[in-house]
Amino acid sequence: MRKQDALQGSLPLLVLKILARRGPLHGYGMTAHIERMSDEVLRVEEGSLYPALHRMEEDGWIRAKWVTTENRRRARMYEVTAAGRKQLEAEEGRWRAVTAAVDQVLGQA
Amino acid sequence: MSLLSRVANAFRSGRMDRELDEELRFHMESRMAELMRQGMSAEEAGRTVRRRMGNSLATRERSRDIRLMPWIESLWRDARFGVRVLVKDRVVTAAAVASLALAIGTCTAAFALIDAMILRPLPVYQPDRLFFLTSGPEGENAGSGFSYPALQRLRAASGDQAELFAASPVFPNPAILVGGQEEKLRNQAVSGNFFSALGIRPALGRLLSPDDETGVNQHPFAVLSYSYWMRRFGGDRNVIGRRFLFGPVQYQIIGVAQKGFTGVEAGTLTDAWMPLSMGAADSLTKWFWEWLHIMGRLKPGVTPPQARQVLQAAFTNAHRDWAADLYRNNEPPQRIQSFLAESLHLTPDAGGPSDLRERFARPMWILAVVAGLVLLIACSNLANLFLARAAAREREMALRISIGAGRAKLIQQVIVEGALVAAAACALGLAFGAAAAPAIVGMLGPWNLPVYLDVHLGWRMVSFAAAASLAATLLFALAPALRASGVTPQEALKAGGAKFSGRRAILRPMLAVQIALSFAVLFVGGMFVLSFVKLAGVDLGFSRDGVALLTIARQAPEKNSQLHTTELLERVRGVPGVRAAGISMWSLFSGDVWTDSIRIPGRAPDPASATILPVSPGFFETMGIRLLAGRDLTARDLAANSSAVIVNQAFAHHYFPGEEALGKQFALPGDSNKDHTGQIVGIVGDVHYLSVREPAPPTLYLPLDRLQGTLAVRTAGDPRAIAPRVRDAVQSFGHSLKVREIVLQSTLVDDALIRERLLALLSGFFAIVAAVLAAVGLYGVLSYSLVRRRREIGIRVALGARRSSVVRLVISDIAVVTALGLAAGICGGNLLARAVTKLLYEVQPTDMASIALPLGCLLAAAALAGARPAIRAARVDPALALREE
Repeated sequence: MRKQDALQGSLPLLVLKILARRGPLHGYGMTAHIERMSDEVLRVEEGSLYPALHRMEEDGWIRAKWVTTENRRRARMYEVTAAGRKQLEAEEGRWRAVTAAVDQVLGQA
Repeated sequence: MSLLSRVANAFRSGRMDRELDEELRFHMESRMAELMRQGMSAEEAGRTVRRRMGNSLATRERSRDIRLMPWIESLWRDARFGVRVLVKDRVVTAAAVASLALAIGTCTAAFALIDAMILRPLPVYQPDRLFFLTSGPEGENAGSGFSYPALQRLRAASGDQAELFAASPVFPNPAILVGGQEEKLRNQAVSGNFFSALGIRPALGRLLSPDDETGVNQHPFAVLSYSYWMRRFGGDRNVIGRRFLFGPVQYQIIGVAQKGFTGVEAGTLTDAWMPLSMGAADSLTKWFWEWLHIMGRLKPGVTPPQARQVLQAAFTNAHRDWAADLYRNNEPPQRIQSFLAESLHLTPDAGGPSDLRERFARPMWILAVVAGLVLLIACSNLANLFLARAAAREREMALRISIGAGRAKLIQQVIVEGALVAAAACALGLAFGAAAAPAIVGMLGPWNLPVYLDVHLGWRMVSFAAAASLAATLLFALAPALRASGVTPQEALKAGGAKFSGRRAILRPMLAVQIALSFAVLFVGGMFVLSFVKLAGVDLGFSRDGVALLTIARQAPEKNSQLHTTELLERVRGVPGVRAAGISMWSLFSGDVWTDSIRIPGRAPDPASATILPVSPGFFETMGIRLLAGRDLTARDLAANSSAVIVNQAFAHHYFPGEEALGKQFALPGDSNKDHTGQIVGIVGDVHYLSVREPAPPTLYLPLDRLQGTLAVRTAGDPRAIAPRVRDAVQSFGHSLKVREIVLQSTLVDDALIRERLLALLSGFFAIVAAVLAAVGLYGVLSYSLVRRRREIGIRVALGARRSSVVRLVISDIAVVTALGLAAGICGGNLLARAVTKLLYEVQPTDMASIALPLGCLLAAAALAGARPAIRAARVDPALALREE
């Protein structure tokens, strides 16, 4: 059985947020960053990260280009687009609304 | 990512895979490096990374899917769903596909014919630089016949402007190729530079050259067409040098023309080309032997008007020179004036003048327009169907929108469904069109010269059908698609789709348009049918049925052969089954005609000319032509010194108005210089000589002066059965008589109405299809609106409405739409009618019958379509109707 993905549907939100704040990053950079920032609580499955990245690229939220790293390796760098920023805003708002609502329910139950 | 790059992805998935691999590998290596920095051994780090990343191939597949597949997959899903929906509604779908297939098929057939006849360029070098010449008095129909002297004068003048070449019309002539057997050879006499000017290369041997045009009868050479070489000689390379008998001359085959070249005249297949110098000397020296078509190729940089100017000057000069002959002949001054004023027209066209095109181009375009209208009717029918279906699926659509399906996806779904119907219809329509086009080509030609048009199923036809289907799909599926995707979920889901008024609002104009189009098609079709019925009923002045015609020719010339005519006729009349027999130089409706001006002593020359036909005694009786006054010719009148002639009523009225024509004398026209006077001994009824449309021309019947022409026999039984016996009697008569062809008089008359019959048949067929489609459309819309209003009707009935008022409710709605459609149709039909009046015979668009016929048909169709829904509306059980919801 597969381990449950703690991120559920919030992976695109995290990716957009990190790219928006940090600038261009490759896939590995993103997993490392998310794990570090969440104190290893959130673990990004590669099996969901890349399909998610490509889907977001498809939707026009991020765009990718190949760059050569300092140790002369080719890496695919992603950066957020204008549409992606708009999307990020909307998703972040929705996320906050939902978590606030969930908190409220948890607090009052 | 754009649609384009997604499609591109489909084709370069190899590169995509590599890129994905590279991206994932970079990821693994980065993580391994990180782990090793934390102190793990390389081996351990590799294991950890692999465990964590799982099967990298699976990841790649999933990533790849995202970039490539969704669109194709959704199309596929839509197609599968569409097929399911369509199959569920089997009968409706079949009807939809069939009606669209019929419409696309007829359009495709019309396209194939127009393409072969008009659009497709000749397979020659630079066909766009070619032109042909016509000439005629200002403002009159231009003729395409020129004499050889005219060709020479024009050629001499056009050196820098164009290269002129000439060809005779193609005719089937008897030739003896092998053994003693006579067969038909469709030959064309051409100028020596014919092939070089067209840019045709030999497939075998050599082609004709300018040398072959010099002298008279010096170059008995023939070039075969590739298709004839294949057909007749099976592509035998030894035909070069072979001799054959053509007329009285031995010809030698010198070459075969390039494959695919079947001649320059659209609709005519040429078997062999011979030099135009191989004919009577007169055909090369007399300016009034106008037997050639002149074509030309413009020199580089020369425009058609420039060339025309130069040629016109030369043409006018030539006419000035030749007018001397006219003065000498005492021609009427008007005729000389118009001869001098003749102008030359230059038509840019690779095909050269084509009789077929002249007669059928307009009818073909009309039929194509009508077929297009039928396609529009079929489309509007389908649009109705799809709208009704979209309405029925309103809840499904609403549901899909509310759970997040994009509107684009819904539009795609409906259009894919439409495309499925259109694709099936396209395939069926192509099959239908590919079968119909050759059948129509078969109807175009007269009995002895079948029309050849290349209408085989090729890429041009396929692309046309595909384009028509695509256009049709957009026409009939786009509106319903937009409509369906425009559903507002709240409304649709709330009230069980009670919002039908808007839906009806769009069905109504669609229906009105459909009725208008159907009316236009029925209107035009009806006029052609009425016109043909009138033409077929014209009293030709002779009785066309039960007469066989045998063309007789002599192998050897013989003096005073006409004296044997009576003897031959006696012999023929003795054949069992023959009731009457007579000979004429040409048969009626054969297309051959001799006209000449008649000079009456003491009168000014008459510019009109009379038709002249030499006949034997018994001809009038055989043809059933009434003798109105005087007597028929007798055996004695055949003698050289006889002066007896017979004229028809039109002749008597034209040349002797208000006088007794019988017994009048006048100089007989003829090629001989002897002054021969004729005396009218009989007056016969008028007969149509060449055409059913044209009234009988003034006609002069001379005694037949030689034993040849066409033997007409009226038979007691089937003329086809008796004609062979007559042939045997003629061929055993001696005097080297031979029967060349046997044909029925009724066939010749039918051939004169080919165009009219074709138009009546095809447009009548279209009219029936249009009426049926209109009825189906009406029925569908009525039934649909009934289903939607069942509940309303139930309530009305429950509240005490009478059955009759319920029926009125259902019918009145449609009646208004029908009336509006008909009004629009009458306006549109009249516009269309302007283009067809030229082709009609004694039928006007404004005639009572022209309008009443389509009106009656459509009203009958509407009544038929409305009957069942109306009855069903009357039978609505309120209890049942209300319980359903």
